[in-house]
This record gives sequence, C-alpha cells and structure tokens, in this order.
Amino acid sequence: MISSSPLAMAAFEYLEPTSTDECIEMLTHYGPAASLLAGGTDLIVKLQHRALRPRVVVNMGRLSDLRYLEQNDDGSVAIGALTPLCDIERTNCLANGLDAIRQGATEVSCVQIRNTGTIGGNSCNASPSADTVPPLIAVGAEARLLGPKGERRVPLERFFRGPGKTMLEPGELLHGFHVPPPPHGTSSAYIKYAIRGPFDLAIVGIAARVTLDAERRIAAADIVMGAVGPTPIRAQKAEQLLVGETANEKVIGEAAALAASESSPISDQRATAEYRRRMVEVSTRAALRAAIWGSRKPSVTATIVRNSSPPSALLPR
Amino acid sequence: MNVNSKSSRVSLTLNVNGVIRECHVASTTTLLELLRGEFGLTGAKRGCDDGNCGACTVLLDGKAVKCCIMLAPQARDRHVMTIEGLGTPERLHPLQQAFVDYFAAQCGYCTPSMILTAKALLDEQPDAQEEDIRHALHGTICRCTGYVKIVQAIEAARDAMA
Repeated sequence: MISSSPLAMAAFEYLEPTSTDECIEMLTHYGPAASLLAGGTDLIVKLQHRALRPRVVVNMGRLSDLRYLEQNDDGSVAIGALTPLCDIERTNCLANGLDAIRQGATEVSCVQIRNTGTIGGNSCNASPSADTVPPLIAVGAEARLLGPKGERRVPLERFFRGPGKTMLEPGELLHGFHVPPPPHGTSSAYIKYAIRGPFDLAIVGIAARVTLDAERRIAAADIVMGAVGPTPIRAQKAEQLLVGETANEKVIGEAAALAASESSPISDQRATAEYRRRMVEVSTRAALRAAIWGSRKPSVTATIVRNSSPPSALLPR
Repeated sequence: MNVNSKSSRVSLTLNVNGVIRECHVASTTTLLELLRGEFGLTGAKRGCDDGNCGACTVLLDGKAVKCCIMLAPQARDRHVMTIEGLGTPERLHPLQQAFVDYFAAQCGYCTPSMILTAKALLDEQPDAQEEDIRHALHGTICRCTGYVKIVQAIEAARDAMA
C-alpha cells in the first residue's frame, strides 16, 4: 500500500499528449484548469504544498520535438523548451557571446534538479530569481510560443508579467528560444549572488553582455537584473552610460551604481531591499568585469585533511 | 484526444533495477511513493518531500534525480536504479565498499543518495576530482555533516575502479 505524503497533492487528472498539436488541444480544452508539467521540479513542489490545485496535469514528457539544442549556420542557436538544464550546462554551442546562458544553467540548484528541470520550465515558472532568464534576455533571446492559432515570437524580455505570470495565453505553450548570433567582439557573463551557492535561490542575479569595437570601446551593453523586481529588469541607464566609453574600472563602477538605482528589490526572508540594492552594484561590477576581461570569481572549496589509508585499516583484524 | 476519459489513475511500465514492473497508481503518486510503497524499495528515503534534502535520490536512465518531486508516470518506460540495484551484500560495489572502509556513513539516511549520485558522476567522469565530487554532491545534505569522509570514500572508489 502506498502511504500518502504529509504533503499529499489534491487529486487531478493526468494527461500525457504524444504530439504538440494534441498538447495544445488539451490546453485549449481545459484552459486555466490545466497545469503543464515539464521537468516538474517547481510544479510538483507547488502541488505538494497545494499552492496550485489544477484539475488536470498535462505532462509534456513525450513531446521529444521540444528537446533540441542546435547552432545554426548563421551562428544563431535554437534551444527547445524541454532541453534539460544539464544539457545546457554541458553544451559547446553556447560559446563566446552566449556563455552567460550556460553559466546561468550551471547556477540552478543542484545536479539532480538540473538533470530534471528544463530551460523552458525555468522561464514558464516565472520566478523573478530564475537563473537562466537574465542571460537569455541579455543575449536578445526570443520566445517561440505555439498555440491554437499557430506560432508567434516575442522577445523574452516581454514574456514576464509578474511573479509566476507570463504572457502565455490559454492553449499556448513555450516551444523554445531563438537566440540571435552575437555580434563580433561580444562576450557575456552571469553572476549569481546567494548565501549557500547555487543550491540557494539568487538574492541577486546579474547577466551582462558587452560588445567591444576594434579600439576596445564599448559598442553595445546589456545588463539584466534578476531577483530585484517582480520580473527580471533591464538596467537601461547603466547600459546607455557604457556605450561609447573605453572599458575601465571607473566607468564600470559608475554603471554598477546606476544599475543599483534602477533596481526595485523587496525585503524578504533572504535579504532586505537595501542589502539587495547594494549587492546589485557589487554583482553588476563583477558581471561587467567577467564579460569584458573574462574573470570569474573562483569557487570556494573546503580544505580536506588527507589520510593515507582508510580509517578501517586501523581496526584490529 | 478523448478529454472525457477519467484518468485520475495511471497505468505504467518501468524498469526498476533491471526488472520490468507494471503498476496502476493514483495520478498524484510520486516516484518515491511508488518505489517505497508499491515495490518495497526503501533505500530511497523520504526527507523533506520537496526536493531540498536529496535523500530520495535515485538514478533515472543513469542520471541522479530527486524522486520525491517526480510523478511516478514521469518514469514511464525508463530505467530506475535504487541503491538495492547496486552491488549485492556478498559483492559490494566499489563505492559501497569504500563507504564501509572510510566510515562514510553515520546515521545512514543520506548514504544511498550519496552513493548513487557518486555513481552517476563517476560513470560520466571516471577521473572526477575533489572539486567535481563536491559539486556533484551539492544537492544531497548530510545532517551528520560527515562530508569529508564521504568525499574521501568516493575518491578511493574512483581510484579502485581506475
């Protein structure tokens, strides 16, 4: 007999479409009564805690055509919504200007979650602290939305409506992302600031993308801030300040201060608004440095005292 | 599409530790509940029940996953390995032997998860270094805080399997 969890889910009907058309048909039929299941690492927790009580759960697991990660001849990259984060973490088709996406995926929680969770789910869950979202916005990703009326493409920047809210209409699903080729001389980075490393939710997450011209002047800059507003937000004034400048510590510091003033964080159990605003400045500086000079903060690991033989070897035999 | 069909129960087939199993479960059943309740495989533990502690880790198609936050049908037609599927009491897997040799288990609650997570890591990266091992173990919490011996045991198993 199966003992039920103390956090037992409310009953729902389970559907498992075998094609995107069938999935869209189901979503159209049930509307808001249906929840879409991708990897489930966010959804199942919400079901367990009864924060969501859908009448129907539609598992996308069989929609293998939504699992892709390819670089096109023009340098653009297509990422399917159901691509697990562990595939993003290991790919070599997100080099140079697109590396922030890979860095963001690497910063999501732990191995087990990255093996299960998907890059599309990370967007559709619409958490303001989602680690892959600021990088995708910074590199100009478009979301491909598929619904009963066909496909539409929207800049991912416009996809989010608030915490847990997206512009997906009833019947629509996220097919994947189109990532345009980065201009020559572009590099990007994502810096996550959290107390307990990747496993923790971001207190601040900053993606920066910088294009340098032949004289190493900043030709274009994108700074997208996560966890410091109801949706990821762009630091527009900081971006404008950087364009045309020669990359140096002084101008990076000024841009970082401006980014902090453009953030609108709240106080919660992880940090106060004031602390977050200060950490926006610190993290933006780090993200710009990492994008421009390629330096990332080395991870801290504990030192281990080494024994030459296993302790059980010391036991009497 | 037959949207009127009642499907609050789900039938599925999956491979658990090399054995094909068929079952018929409530749609709300997690993979952890299926393994422990239906199949009596209690190696995967229920800890936090919301994906934080990692005590429920099993291998799904060779990859470590937290099965307390997976619905059972997500494992349809896939291979699940629990700690019961690794080694035998007479012939322990090198990782299990190393955990014994290095006293890498204290209360033991996280041990199946630690061993399976390490197996997935070493299968993919047989020369994993300490930093890789610590990175891979990030999602499994040892409340006895015995991480040093766990890492040492995994390094010893890595060397034994080289």
